[in-house]
Amino acid sequence: MARPRSWIVTVDLSTGKVDREPVDEQVNSTFLGGSGVGWKLVADRLKPGIDPFSEENLICVNPGILAGTLTPGTPKTSVVTKFPTIASDDGKHYIGSCTTGGRYLGVALRRAGCEHLFIKGKADSPVYLAIKDDKVELVDARDFWGKGIEAVNNELVCREGPESGVVVIGTAGENLVRQALTIVDKTNSLGRGGLGAVMGSKNLKAIVVNGSGGVKVAQPSEFMNVSEELRQRILKWPKRAHWIELGLAAGWDTFKHTQYPGIWPKDEWDKLYGEKTRMETVEEVIADNSCILACRLKWKIKGGEYDGEIGFGSPFSKSATSGMLLGVRDFRKMIHIVADANSNTGIDFYTTTRMIDFVTKMYEIGRLSKEDTGGLELTREYKTYLKLYEMTVNREGFGDVMADGWYRLKKEYGLEPQEYWYAGICKGVDFIYDARPSNFHPLMMSFFTRPRPHHGGSHTRTNSRNKTLEEIREQVEGWGLSEETVRNIFTEAPYTGKFNVGRYTRYMEDMMRVKNSIGLCSIYSYQGLLFGNDQARLYNAATGENVSAGELVARGERISNVAKMINVREGFSRDDDRVPEVWFRPMDSPEGRIEMQDYYQTKVLTKEDVNRLLDDYYEERGWEIEKGIPTQKKLKELGLAEYLKDL
Amino acid sequence: MKNIDHLIISPIKCRGCRSCQLACSFIKTEEFNPAKSMIRMERDVETGHTAPMILPLGCDLCNGDPACLKACTYGALSSGPERSDYRVLVQ
Repeated sequence: MARPRSWIVTVDLSTGKVDREPVDEQVNSTFLGGSGVGWKLVADRLKPGIDPFSEENLICVNPGILAGTLTPGTPKTSVVTKFPTIASDDGKHYIGSCTTGGRYLGVALRRAGCEHLFIKGKADSPVYLAIKDDKVELVDARDFWGKGIEAVNNELVCREGPESGVVVIGTAGENLVRQALTIVDKTNSLGRGGLGAVMGSKNLKAIVVNGSGGVKVAQPSEFMNVSEELRQRILKWPKRAHWIELGLAAGWDTFKHTQYPGIWPKDEWDKLYGEKTRMETVEEVIADNSCILACRLKWKIKGGEYDGEIGFGSPFSKSATSGMLLGVRDFRKMIHIVADANSNTGIDFYTTTRMIDFVTKMYEIGRLSKEDTGGLELTREYKTYLKLYEMTVNREGFGDVMADGWYRLKKEYGLEPQEYWYAGICKGVDFIYDARPSNFHPLMMSFFTRPRPHHGGSHTRTNSRNKTLEEIREQVEGWGLSEETVRNIFTEAPYTGKFNVGRYTRYMEDMMRVKNSIGLCSIYSYQGLLFGNDQARLYNAATGENVSAGELVARGERISNVAKMINVREGFSRDDDRVPEVWFRPMDSPEGRIEMQDYYQTKVLTKEDVNRLLDDYYEERGWEIEKGIPTQKKLKELGLAEYLKDL
Repeated sequence: MKNIDHLIISPIKCRGCRSCQLACSFIKTEEFNPAKSMIRMERDVETGHTAPMILPLGCDLCNGDPACLKACTYGALSSGPERSDYRVLVQ
C-alpha cells in the first residue's frame, strides 16, 4: 500500500473559513511528514517580520506520523509558530517548534484526518476550536475566559467526549504574558517561549479534537513486526520497573548533581527535596498514548498549608532547583506554584521563578528600588514570591514588566540578563540546565544553537553523565553516518575532550527533527533503547519508502536548515547563538568550586574552547562559520534554493 | 497457539496508554482505531484515571490468544488460572 494521504486543515479565526487540502506527496517524503512538513508550510506561509501577537502569525499543529499507532512512545505532536519571547536587544522574535506528548491530542488529530492544523487570524471574541472529523467549528468561549486550565479541560472533555484531545491556555496566555505556555490533556505542557500567549492574542482559549477514523500504515504486517520487536527490547530494560513506578520523579541521584544550583549543601537538598519527598507525593504515573515507559505524574501534597492539593505533570525537578534558588525549604510550597501554573495560569514556572529570584536579589542589593516596583517591597520570602507570580500572570504593576521577560527588565531597569547566576539565558529564554554542574554536554550546546532555546525532544545518551564512549558510539552509529563523520566526532582535541560536542550536536539536532516528525518521545533515545536505524525501519513500514537511517538524518538536516533560514530572515545569526556568560563564572558552592568542564570532566572549558566547538558545529553543518548561517552551497545541496534570497 | 478463555481487568493498574485498544483494532482491521476495537476506555475526567472495559458480546478473545493481553504492559489485563464461568472479570 502507498503512504496514507495526509491533510492540511486551515482555520481562519478572523473569518471562520476552513480549508482542507492534501499534502503534496513529494513534500511529505522530502520533509518526512509531521513537524518536518509543518516547518516547510510555515516557511512558505508566514510573512517575515510580523509581530507574533498580530493576526498574521500562524500556529501549525503537527502530530507525528506514528502518532496513534501501537509503536511504543509515539504520542508526540509538535507546534511551529513565531514565539513572542523578546529574544534580543533589538526586539527580534524567533520562530520555533515545541513538542508535547499526551494521551489524546496526537491520536485525535490523526484520527480526525488532520495531520497539519493551521490556525491564522484572530477571533473577534474568545472562542475554542472544536474539531470532530470533518466538522471544524469555532465555539463561543466567553464563559471560559478567565477560567483556569484544568476546569476548562474537564468541561471540554465532558462536552465533546472522553477521547477528546485538548490544548488549553490559562489566564497568563489570555493576558499575553510572553512566558505563557499551554497544557495538553492536563498532563503535558507545550510551548515554552509563549505559545499560550500567541493563542491568547488570537482569542483562542482552547483546541479540542476528536476523530473516529483509523490510523493506517503502508505495510501493516511489517510495521507490527518491527513495533513488536522494539517493544520486547524495551520491556527488557532493567530499569523499567523503577521508571514506571516513579516516572519523571525518577532520577534524583543524577539530578542532584547535574542541576545543582550551589547554594545549599547537597545533603541538605537531598533531605528537603530528595527522593523521599517524591515518593510521598506521587499518586499515579500516567502513560501517554502507546507509551510503555509511563512518566507523567499525578501528585498530591500531603501536610502543610496546601494539604490535599492535586496536580498533574511533573513538579519535582523544577521545584527543587527553584526552591534552592529562592531559599524555600518546604518543597510543598514550590510544588503548589507548579500546580497552580499547570492547572490554572499556564505560566512557565522556570522563567517566572528565576525572574523572581533575579529581581528580588537585585532589590536586596539596591539595583531595584521601591519606586521601580511601584511601591512593592521585594523581600526574599515566599509571600513576596507568590505576589510577584500573581502580578506577572495578571500583568499588574511591576508584573507587567516581568510578563515581557528578561529583555524588558533590561530595557526598563538596566538589569542585564547575562548577570543572572543560574543556568544562563540565550535569545531571551532561561535555560533549564546549568552547564557548570551538568558539564558541557551536547544538549547544552543545542540550547544556544537551536532557533528556540529549549531541549524540545533532542535528548540522547549524552544527557546523562559519564556514559562510556562505546555507548555514545553505539548511538552515533545508529544514525547511519559515514565513517569519516563518525571519526571526526570521536577525534579527541584539547578544547573538546574525547568526543567533539560541536560536531555531535549537529546530528543530535537533525535526529531531533526526525523524532519530532515521526512523533517519537526522546526518552527512548535518551535511555539508549531506540536508535536511528530503528526509526528508519518504522518510518519505512509506515510510509512504504525504503530509506536508511542516514537518509533520515539527511532529511532531518533539511528541516534544520529550513528552520534556520526562517530565522535568518528575521535577522538571527551567530551573534544570537551566544554562550551564556554565567557558564564561565565559577560556581562557589558549599561543595566546593564548580566550573564548566568537558563531558568527561578532564578540563575546565574556556570561552575560546566553546567558541571553537561552535565553529566545529557550523562547519559540520556546512554553514558560514563567521555568520553561523547556511551557505548557498548547502541550501542548493539540500534542494532549498528557494531560500537563497533570504541569505 | 494459546488457549486463553478469559481476561481479568484490573482497572487500578491501567495507566491509560490505550495499547490494548490499538492492538485489538489492528488485529481485526489492520488499522489503529479505538472505535473498531472491542475495548472502551473509561475516563474519569476529574482524576484523569482510565480503565479498559471489554465488550463481552463482541470480543472473541482472538481465538485464545488475545492481542490486548499481549499489548498491556502494566498488568491491567491478565489471565489467571483456568476459569470457565466467565469471560471477562473486573477485579
